[in-house]
Amino acid sequence: MRDNWIHAAPLRAVARACALTLAACALLPFGLAGCDKHGETHAEPEPVGGPTVLRRLTESQYRATVADIFGPDIPVPARFERGLRVDGLLAIGSSESGMSPFSIEQYDAAALSIATTVLGVDKRDTYLSCAPASTDTFAEDCARQFVQRYGLQLWRRPLADAEVNALVDAARRGHAQLGDFYAGLKYALVGMMVAPEFLLRIETTEADAQHPGLLQLDAFAKATRLSYFLTNSTPDQELLRAADAGELDTDAGLSRQVDRLIASPRFAGAVRAYFEDMLQFDLFNDLAKDPIIYPAFNSTLAADAQEQTLRTITELLIDQDGDYRNLFTTRDAWLTRALGIAYRVPVATRNGWEKAQFAGDSTRIGIQAHIAFLALHAHPGRSSPSLRGKAIREVFLCQEVPPPPPNVNFSVVQDPSSTNLPTARDRLEIHRTEPSCAGCHRIMDPLGLALENFDGLGTFRTVENAALIDASGALDGVEFSNAAGLAQALHSHPETPRCLVEKMYRFAVGRDTAWDERAYMDYLTEAFTVGGYRVPQLMRTIALSKNFFAIATPEEGGDGHQLANLATANGAQP
Amino acid sequence: MAEAIRYSRTALSTRTDGPRTRVTLRALSMLLAYIMLQPSATYADAAFIQNGNAGFVVSHIAYALAGDAPESIACPQGMSLSVQDIFAQTAKGKRLPQESDDDYAARLRDGGKVYSTAPDGQNLCTNPEAGKPDPNYRTVHVSTMPVAGIDLDAGRAPAANSCAHQDFTGRNGEPGIDNQFYRVVGCTRSFQPTGQSNGFDIEMLTGSWGILIALAGVDDIVNDDSVEVSFFANADPIQLSPTRDPLAYATYLVDPDPDFQAHARGRIENGILTTEPTDVQFHHVVNSMYLVRPLRDARLHATLSRDGVLEGYLAGYTPVEAMYDFQYGYRSGKTRTGELAPDKLRAGSANGAAYVLGHTCNGVYYALYEHADGHPDPATGKCTSISTQYAIKAIPAFVIEDAAHTIQGNPVAEHADAR
Repeated sequence: MRDNWIHAAPLRAVARACALTLAACALLPFGLAGCDKHGETHAEPEPVGGPTVLRRLTESQYRATVADIFGPDIPVPARFERGLRVDGLLAIGSSESGMSPFSIEQYDAAALSIATTVLGVDKRDTYLSCAPASTDTFAEDCARQFVQRYGLQLWRRPLADAEVNALVDAARRGHAQLGDFYAGLKYALVGMMVAPEFLLRIETTEADAQHPGLLQLDAFAKATRLSYFLTNSTPDQELLRAADAGELDTDAGLSRQVDRLIASPRFAGAVRAYFEDMLQFDLFNDLAKDPIIYPAFNSTLAADAQEQTLRTITELLIDQDGDYRNLFTTRDAWLTRALGIAYRVPVATRNGWEKAQFAGDSTRIGIQAHIAFLALHAHPGRSSPSLRGKAIREVFLCQEVPPPPPNVNFSVVQDPSSTNLPTARDRLEIHRTEPSCAGCHRIMDPLGLALENFDGLGTFRTVENAALIDASGALDGVEFSNAAGLAQALHSHPETPRCLVEKMYRFAVGRDTAWDERAYMDYLTEAFTVGGYRVPQLMRTIALSKNFFAIATPEEGGDGHQLANLATANGAQP
Repeated sequence: MAEAIRYSRTALSTRTDGPRTRVTLRALSMLLAYIMLQPSATYADAAFIQNGNAGFVVSHIAYALAGDAPESIACPQGMSLSVQDIFAQTAKGKRLPQESDDDYAARLRDGGKVYSTAPDGQNLCTNPEAGKPDPNYRTVHVSTMPVAGIDLDAGRAPAANSCAHQDFTGRNGEPGIDNQFYRVVGCTRSFQPTGQSNGFDIEMLTGSWGILIALAGVDDIVNDDSVEVSFFANADPIQLSPTRDPLAYATYLVDPDPDFQAHARGRIENGILTTEPTDVQFHHVVNSMYLVRPLRDARLHATLSRDGVLEGYLAGYTPVEAMYDFQYGYRSGKTRTGELAPDKLRAGSANGAAYVLGHTCNGVYYALYEHADGHPDPATGKCTSISTQYAIKAIPAFVIEDAAHTIQGNPVAEHADAR
């Protein structure tokens, strides 16, 4: 985001040029104007890559990983430290945040609980294909078999002999202390689960024979990056096998695995993870509403509101293979009873979801008019055109809005019961007379004011303090009279698809884009556009691109190589 | 309805007509915009009504009674006594020197048992008819204090469908208030304004039972000479806010049992909805026993506000035997699966209630018949029901009669918040 802000102007120029090229594609016969005969995009530019990163598993990745390895019925009783949002994404923060003593305690407690369940009397036969003659004897072969099998899955690579020996030795010492084979083995499993190799995605590199001067992720690091990008979880057995067999180093082998992962049910988890991150749903953990003003707000509504938006997204983007931009104009309404109270619509189904459509004459259009967005970007006791406008700029258009200057007088806008200034528009008009505020509010408010027909929770309203609400607004020169107009403007805005592309790539690699990746961003944006703005197709394009696995050498890309070397020095396989 | 909006516009005009009023161009344009954007159909499109339909969930219900008896002339002989109170007035019931609170309470409980047992050994709470009228059970005989409620038998000869009784005057001076249940309970501790028995909607707020009201054919919420009004038992628990207040615009399914559904013709006059009489009944739950709260010839008389709040009275006649059952004796209490609840639970609850709430079972049973004023038995001429007034408040809700009728795949229109 920082870089993007710096070179936003050239990027926009490139985007405009690309748009023109695409228009030419549409108008000219196939095979002209830089498009191939099937209307496909230009070839991927030469990869430039970026640094490797050490990415901490997010909470959802940790939980999904445990569920995929040991089964969904294994409880994970832990409270995870909140993520760090960097450049608009927790995915980037996961490679920049530290690990506090609190985190270590939680990881330790979670690992102990998981190991106790997995190796408990009821479950152990599910995970072990061998057993000691009696529980008070130590069966080394069995312990070794367990460590090798689950070590591969947990550390996402085969364990070195020294690593296996160390873990088996931990199990042996545990057995010696506790007199029980499974109690000892538990400590080997805990050891694997609190190790950096499990908690951090350590990216190891190798020379890229096809691109001298560049490195690339090694096979197992490729498998890990692919898997967390396309399933938000750990590589499955088949992907690990393909990595071990060298199939990820061939175009055909990689393509086969990418298509398999995109076709799997786990792909929806990846799309959900991306949009949860992009839409900043982690902020719901801190969201509070005044119970007198918004009595319908509670934890059930907060959870259902997020799920509503995510269902809308996955259904449109995956099930219908729809145009990403239609997220801003969809009238689809997934509803529960809790949501029905806030939206003020009937929902007959007691415990579950109903899918309806918001009425054709309603301005409730698009995910930006969902309660999840409207409630999140509002104050505890009132709506906020400024917060909503800022969020639209930052979340959907990747445009940064600076924070307010110090010593701003908020008294006018913070009095929502003012009879002289009954609407938010009235109050903001006064507030904007302060020159230091005017610039940013001019960017934010015209967007947020279009959503003023939705109160601080997101409930539809026509009046505020008995005054009719004027929901007109504008977005970069496009004027509209209400939220429906805003929806169309977002749908048509040239930065809307480009922002998604850039965020998706940054989400995939866990870092900001590098300066040299501008051409690659253009390539992805063009492919996304030509492909009809299909998100699964975009993710496939990223996953199959050379740049996705390319690692810049230290001279080219900073300290990434050093991180890779560190990982190797700590015992990971090269 | 049109009247109300015309009034509103006049008021606005008046405010701007004053000689000292400085009408700026901006204010004038805002005023014009306001007038032009006002819905022309006035109150017909109140947010809580869609296509002439509106639903409500009862958010508060309590017996409509009178003020605090000890501070009035309602009970010149004092308040009713429980069996323990009666025993305490005897020589054996006096507190002994040095007797501890716990010991005395235990002795009162034991001593009171003789007053809750019929001569033939039957428990008087489960068999109140085996006892006699209790002089220690006091009722209200004066009629001079204001009592809440509505006139249930206006214009009808007492002999037609009621027994002779004395009406009260309402809190705002309305004549003819029929509230014989107040006479029965007015001198009982637990039925005073803040008494435990008048807070029976706690069970409603915990989701044990609920009441739904639906209107259809509403053209105007201020004046409409014909609307359809339906009463239903709620099949879903009431939805509450984090501060335990009922939430508006929640969805509820009606109890599919036709015994818990009733319909009546109604009218709205000056914002007050009234209905023709109809028999209704609702669920009631005490100590996990499922009971029925019936009301014969029930009428709704309630103000319908612009925000969709319905507030007023639901009044009618409660059959005496049913009133005794759901309020005092629990003789018909059933389990969730429909079997008669265990004897011990029913008898224990009734005797416990009598002790805690301050009445004798036989006393209240005979008092109910003494003051009964409705539905005379054709054979004996004795009235079998008692006029009962409930003060209710209901808030907007989506009332769904057919569980299969979901919004799945259909357009849904939101109800605007008009605050």
